[in-house]
Amino acid sequence: MNARLDSFSYDDAIVRKFLWATMIWGIVGFLIGLIIAIQLPWPGFNLAPYLTFGRLRPLHTNAVIFAFAGNAFFTGAYYSTQRLLKTRMWSDALSKFHFWGWQAIIVAAAVTLPLGFTQSKEYAELEWPIDIAIAVVWVAFAVNYFVTLTKRRERHIYVAIWFYIASIITVALLHIFNNLSVPAGAFKSYSIYAGVQDAFMQWWYGHNAVAFFLTTPFLGLMYYFMPKAADRPVFSYRLSILHFWSLVFLYIWAGPHHLHYTALPDWASTLGMLFSVMLWMPSWGGMVNGLLTLRGAWHKVTEDPILKFFVVAVTAYGMSTFEGPMLSIKSVNALAHYTDWVIAHVHTGALGWNGFLTFGMVYWLAPRLFQTEIYSKKLVNLHFWLATFGILLYVVAIYSAGATQGLMWRAFDETGRLQYPDFVETVMRLIPMYWVRVVGGTLYITGASLAIYNLYKTWATRPATYEVPVVQAAPLDPVYVDDHAPEAGGFWARFTHMGWHRRWEGMPLFFSVMTAVAVIIASLFEIIPTFLIKSNVPTIASVKPYTPLELAGRNIYQREGCFNCHSQMIRPLTYETERYGDYSKPGESVYEHPFLWGSRRIGPDLAREGGKYPDLWHVRHMKNPREVTQKSIMPAYPHLETNLIDFPSIQRSVDAMAMIGVPYGDAVNNAPAMAKAQAEQLAASIEAAGGPKGLADKEIVALTAYLQRLGRDLKNASGGTP
Amino acid sequence: MADKDNDKLLEHAYDGIQEFDNPLPTWWKWIFYATILVVPIYMWDPLGIGVGPGKVKAYEQQMAAFNAAHPKSAGTYTDDQLAAFAKDPAKLEAGKVVFTTYCAACHRPDGGGLIGPNLTDDFWIHGGKPTEIMKTVTEGVLAKGMPNWGKVLKPDQIEGAVAYVQSIHGTNPANPKAPEGAKFPSDSAAAPPAVAPKAK
Repeated sequence: MNARLDSFSYDDAIVRKFLWATMIWGIVGFLIGLIIAIQLPWPGFNLAPYLTFGRLRPLHTNAVIFAFAGNAFFTGAYYSTQRLLKTRMWSDALSKFHFWGWQAIIVAAAVTLPLGFTQSKEYAELEWPIDIAIAVVWVAFAVNYFVTLTKRRERHIYVAIWFYIASIITVALLHIFNNLSVPAGAFKSYSIYAGVQDAFMQWWYGHNAVAFFLTTPFLGLMYYFMPKAADRPVFSYRLSILHFWSLVFLYIWAGPHHLHYTALPDWASTLGMLFSVMLWMPSWGGMVNGLLTLRGAWHKVTEDPILKFFVVAVTAYGMSTFEGPMLSIKSVNALAHYTDWVIAHVHTGALGWNGFLTFGMVYWLAPRLFQTEIYSKKLVNLHFWLATFGILLYVVAIYSAGATQGLMWRAFDETGRLQYPDFVETVMRLIPMYWVRVVGGTLYITGASLAIYNLYKTWATRPATYEVPVVQAAPLDPVYVDDHAPEAGGFWARFTHMGWHRRWEGMPLFFSVMTAVAVIIASLFEIIPTFLIKSNVPTIASVKPYTPLELAGRNIYQREGCFNCHSQMIRPLTYETERYGDYSKPGESVYEHPFLWGSRRIGPDLAREGGKYPDLWHVRHMKNPREVTQKSIMPAYPHLETNLIDFPSIQRSVDAMAMIGVPYGDAVNNAPAMAKAQAEQLAASIEAAGGPKGLADKEIVALTAYLQRLGRDLKNASGGTP
Repeated sequence: MADKDNDKLLEHAYDGIQEFDNPLPTWWKWIFYATILVVPIYMWDPLGIGVGPGKVKAYEQQMAAFNAAHPKSAGTYTDDQLAAFAKDPAKLEAGKVVFTTYCAACHRPDGGGLIGPNLTDDFWIHGGKPTEIMKTVTEGVLAKGMPNWGKVLKPDQIEGAVAYVQSIHGTNPANPKAPEGAKFPSDSAAAPPAVAPKAK
């Protein structure tokens, strides 16, 4: 052992920065959530064009996931990693770059999403320049992190670090491979994948964003801050090992459960379901280790609001990770998919697990970082109760909304007709529950505002200059001799004794490689067949690319975020085909870059919308939906009747599509002219039917052309009425 | 669950955090094994609740069973029956609600026509006999933009709407849409419509 001790200090300034960012973006994200919650029961609250539900909903999800939860992860990771490794972060400059880069990305998101710049893939909406910035900042974080690992003064890495490592590696992989796209302008791009494959990649990403952005980082935080706050040892080291590896390996497979009964092939759907079921106990391993760490400390929970936050967080984690596997069962999913049930499920996780773990952590950190007493413990308690009650109101209302709508959609009367054939009837039934959600959300935000106030008052009593404690620790001996006695017994006995894992913990880079291998192997098992098996997507001869005008309309559909409320994927279920027409085939989506299948039906499915209504109906409906459907909750889009179609940009769109293999033929040479010709024809027919004059260069015509095309290729092929 | 007095602390500590050397909880281990066992059972499917024939085949079976249980009723209405509905105040009242909710957006609340044709005059594009009106409402005329209401409305709602449409005949609303289609009942003495039927 080296007798020399190094003296060093921890970088807490960066932790303080991330802590404030967490809380400020948290409030912003919650507020946008509240706004969109009000927009559903009160469509007048949509302020077109920039502040409609379709544009704000992605801003809400991005803000709470990447800004609130992301900054919370960084806060806790920078604080705990330095202490667990007994070293300062390798580069203060990279830490600062990470902080400011990340905040700049959030600001860019807050500007571009309301402007309608979106890739229209959930939680991956940000357009390609921002995606590149995310990759750069993330790599800077990773480099700083991994070099810090090599500079550590603690031989073995603690379980929290395992979870951080898994998060850093996997998020990078997910982000890069889901966002591969071809630009068609500074803020417009098309996914290189189409239809079934794009859907697969998106939910490989989407599900694992939940796993490796909202679960593993927070398990890492739990493993540090919970034993710290309770002053109790972790319940079981062996359980940590087993649930870490099983979680990391199994999670990756589960993505396809987001696509049950869609045009995704059955085998992928089945894999997604079975691996989700197997994921139940690995997830609960974290809950068990968290809750049982409190054994012998339960009396503290009644007195310490920080522990209360942690207990509710871990309990919410347990509930949502039980519900996840349950929802992944195909028959359960058939009922819950496209409904608010899933919204309630994710809010149990987000408000309970991510939110409460963050609040508990922030309250624990505040006196330590600001080197003073917390301003008011009473306010912490009040925050806890307001937020707990808020979560309860939210989830009870939205679970019942989900179950109600799911059951209404599938109800048949005794004559074999849909009990509620008019979609808007199933929406009206949810309105009271939407208002209850508004009340619940308001309570939650009130709690978070108390937190900000409490933190501000705490910060105000900080010392004039922060004390920077000097820590002493011995550097690692370059020659490491494993001091463990050789283990006795056969292979299984040695395996279960976990000595091998103890050695891995002494080799963080090897450990990281093994984590990457686990994640990549699991991914390739699903990705390779999805892309290589031709029979997954039988081609349909009558399916043709969109005309240039329809493509322009599709760009508008993406920009306005229509996919946030309308699916384009009819499932092969009797009550779906009865309502919407023939189920969607994989071959129908081959030119869909990106896929627009959607995941929630706040409005009806549009996969076969083409020809259901006259052109003029769409024109009037977009201007004011309530003029044609009295009780519709859809926002009005009057600007579509005045905005001019950007004809030159259509060429860029067509060229980008052609580049990724869409057979555009003539359109690659004269897309704008073709679009103009079709627009004039359509505008004339709208005018002839008694509609407004002079729409030939207005966006509404492009959007109408797109909507009227949906599902027509298959109808034409089967000899239906054109 | 391990008794906490028997817990053995591992010798290592990280920033003061210690760990117990507790075994995996038994229930946890067994449920984990059980969920793994679900895989072969689901694939083998001895109880018929597992992987099954795939979603498309399963759908075709369900549709066959569904259609067998609910034979499509052939047009059972007669003109007289539908004409009688138009004199039934209860039907008319219900029909007015349906008309205001679903039809008025295109045919105007007074039936004078807007996107859709005037329903109060003597001219009908798709036939003015009660059974013909019924057919137009139920099956729609997609090419002309009349939705297929048979999918959206229930039979008694459609009966009401058809009754109501018959009842507003001849009401002469203000600013009606020009007549379209053929006169009904056809009257050989009458002049052809002022505006030639539109062929769309």
